[in-house]
Amino acid sequence: MTIFSRRRLAVAVVLSTAMLAAACSSGDEKPAASNELTVMAPLFGTAPDPGGEMQQAVEKVVGKKLKITWVPNAEYGDKTNVTLASDKIPDLMVVNEKSPAFIKAAEAGAFWDLTGKLDKYENLKPANEQTGKNTLVNGKTYGIYRVRPLLRSGIVIRKDWLAKLGLKEPKTVEDLYTVAKAFTEQDPDGNGKKDTYGLIIPKWPGGYSSASPYDVMETWFGAPNGWGERDGKLVPGFDTPEFLGANRWLRKWVTEGLINPDFATLDTANWNDPFVQGKGGMIIDVNVRATQLLDLFKEKTPKDIDKVTLVGNLARADGKKFSYPFTGYNMVIAVSKQNVRTDEQLDQALQSLDKLASKEGSVLVTNGIEGRNFKVDGKYAVPIAQDDPKVKAIQNDVDKAFIQLGTRASVGMGAYQLRPNDAPSRAMREKFDVLMNEDLKTAVFNPVLGVIAPTSISKGQTLQNIIPDARIKYLSGAITEDQLKAEIKRWYDSGGTQIAQETNDLAAKVGG
Amino acid sequence: MATELAPNQVVPPAVPMTGPAPRRKRGGRQRPLWRDLLRYRWLYLLLLPGLVYFIVFKYLPMYGLTIAFKDYVPFLGYSGSQWVGLEHFQALFTGPDFGRLMINTLILALLTIVFVFPAPIVVALMLNELRIRVLKRSVQSLIYIPHFLSWTIVASLTYLLFSVDFGVIAGWLHDVVGGQKVDYVAQADWFRPLIVLQLLWKQTGWGTIIYLAALASVDTQLYEAARVDGAGRWRQFWHITLPSIQPTIVVMAILTSGNLMDSGFEQIWLMTTSLNRDVADVFDTFVYYVGITQGSFSYATAVGLFKGVIGVVLIFGSNLLAKRLGQRGLF
Repeated sequence: MTIFSRRRLAVAVVLSTAMLAAACSSGDEKPAASNELTVMAPLFGTAPDPGGEMQQAVEKVVGKKLKITWVPNAEYGDKTNVTLASDKIPDLMVVNEKSPAFIKAAEAGAFWDLTGKLDKYENLKPANEQTGKNTLVNGKTYGIYRVRPLLRSGIVIRKDWLAKLGLKEPKTVEDLYTVAKAFTEQDPDGNGKKDTYGLIIPKWPGGYSSASPYDVMETWFGAPNGWGERDGKLVPGFDTPEFLGANRWLRKWVTEGLINPDFATLDTANWNDPFVQGKGGMIIDVNVRATQLLDLFKEKTPKDIDKVTLVGNLARADGKKFSYPFTGYNMVIAVSKQNVRTDEQLDQALQSLDKLASKEGSVLVTNGIEGRNFKVDGKYAVPIAQDDPKVKAIQNDVDKAFIQLGTRASVGMGAYQLRPNDAPSRAMREKFDVLMNEDLKTAVFNPVLGVIAPTSISKGQTLQNIIPDARIKYLSGAITEDQLKAEIKRWYDSGGTQIAQETNDLAAKVGG
Repeated sequence: MATELAPNQVVPPAVPMTGPAPRRKRGGRQRPLWRDLLRYRWLYLLLLPGLVYFIVFKYLPMYGLTIAFKDYVPFLGYSGSQWVGLEHFQALFTGPDFGRLMINTLILALLTIVFVFPAPIVVALMLNELRIRVLKRSVQSLIYIPHFLSWTIVASLTYLLFSVDFGVIAGWLHDVVGGQKVDYVAQADWFRPLIVLQLLWKQTGWGTIIYLAALASVDTQLYEAARVDGAGRWRQFWHITLPSIQPTIVVMAILTSGNLMDSGFEQIWLMTTSLNRDVADVFDTFVYYVGITQGSFSYATAVGLFKGVIGVVLIFGSNLLAKRLGQRGLF
């Protein structure tokens, strides 16, 4: 090697080292610019173009530049926790206000306590009292809730199978068993083989009391939704005879083959498949799955427009009815203190959010730009000019991203409803509200949604899986009822006793 | 963050000591350091990027390990958080999860040693005996391929093949064996066999590369001489092939021992269900669950640090053992 080339090599080495070092130390400090807001929100498709038409329209409404970090929904929880551990917390963050990581950060002062501060903003104060109560964390409001229908649970059933077997829509849990049994044993698809099952249940990603089919069915049997009062004390829902009764009943379903055999492993992403393939005839989930399935059947065979029906919550065998409500919201928008430091700056940020939640802002984030990608027809929004790629981009930005910033209007509760294409879809949509209002009369609310026991934060990792795992094991036949009871006792022994105690104390203090 | 949560990276001695020769005499005339530096300046300069890499990416992040001894609240920062001493370690060792995690991790480690570690050696030796070059090459290439698939795909394939509802192999086994349908992917009894099968399928081919390289460097004259002396295939294998790759096997064994506590987060996480969680929970998934899902960063770091310490002990221990047994160690 000549000196020259050696030197050149060395220069290259030094340069690359310098660049490496520079890349590591590049901490671009953002000046506290008050005309810009950083935001983090979930994303359900491709991220919008920051300079796109839609973002510009939103910026015009809120009166500030927005720097939005869109995070794919599947990893949103993880990304939230990692962001909370960093020193770059966005000004406005869509966040699950009950997650341990958020509560720890908020209690350390990373987020604004908005208790009592929202009343002066017309569009930010809770529109529904029950929902507002549900978003509390031990009496404190940490964010503006993103509204969802207050009751969405229902049973999606193959309409043509019911008709073929001469069955009526179920009203009680016993009717449901009859339908499931018939769907399994009386060959509803008419292929001469016993190759169908009644109910499809997936591997549920959430824990106990997370709107799983199991939680919904237990509520029908009279078990508390999460927590409930028994003998003047609050007890967890799984420590009740109703919980055991419901699962004893459901275990019979598994034994008799009325449920898909892979209910412990079926991915929720493939939940629709057995239904559309004609393997299973019922799904217990949110009502919008009914419209989803209607569309899927249509996609497969265009003339199949009416193969799905939706039934609301069911009554118990003795005729008493208990319905499973939802919380009325899905995550909140919290304001971090990192850049928003003074009360004045907070007021500015909240004013921006207020504008975003106004009628004008709600239409924008849930429907789009009127006259550009949709037109109004009565209470419906009708998509227009969808062949234009630019309009298509707006539509995509709305449906997959910006709708997530809606607080007063949101997913399933758009400012204008999307007009369904055909009569069955329209009837189905209209059914949603009818069933919701009917079932809300018998809704069993979780009295302590706003109460977070400190032990559940510190020992969550040990406790969280005990009950849902034990439930699945019991249903699959891996353990007996006595072993299920032993698992419930294990929950108490591993810290559950403290949680129950703290929950009772806190509920008495903050009024539930 | 990842580096801080999983401080199990054992820093290999990648920087060879190219410094001055051993000093000759104490107090005697020795070359000053700066002269050495000047003399070998280009070599030292070449060393620099490697050094910077290790300092920046391996050593500096270790500062984050201090949160294992603190009650870390991100908002307060590393220095602002309270010191709590060994509280997190105490919670780990006395907590209800520790025993289960330890047993599950150790069993998986044991299965790895017994089944997964020798597999590439066996396959490499078998490939080495193949006469037809084309066949050898194509088999080699074919068994590499699974290495390049992500665990997500491997897990999906496993579900497709073994699901109780639509699994191809599960259905086939049911036809052959009869009896009740077995839910291979969900049942606790089948968790470990499936994990080992997946590891074998995915990593064996890739693992053969290093052994095949070692086998290729064996002097062919040795075989010729052995044949002249009348040694059969088996004798040649026993007395030439095996001793030739023995150092490679020892080095690989030492390296593997450092990773025994790593059970492969992605693989296990993807295969965990409500029914098999009791046997599936290992330290890796626990750290993720505690740290990322629950946000208990300090506790997760403590668990990770414990795992890392065990890894270091294992690697030094096996190195020492190799030397005691008369083998050349790794360092």
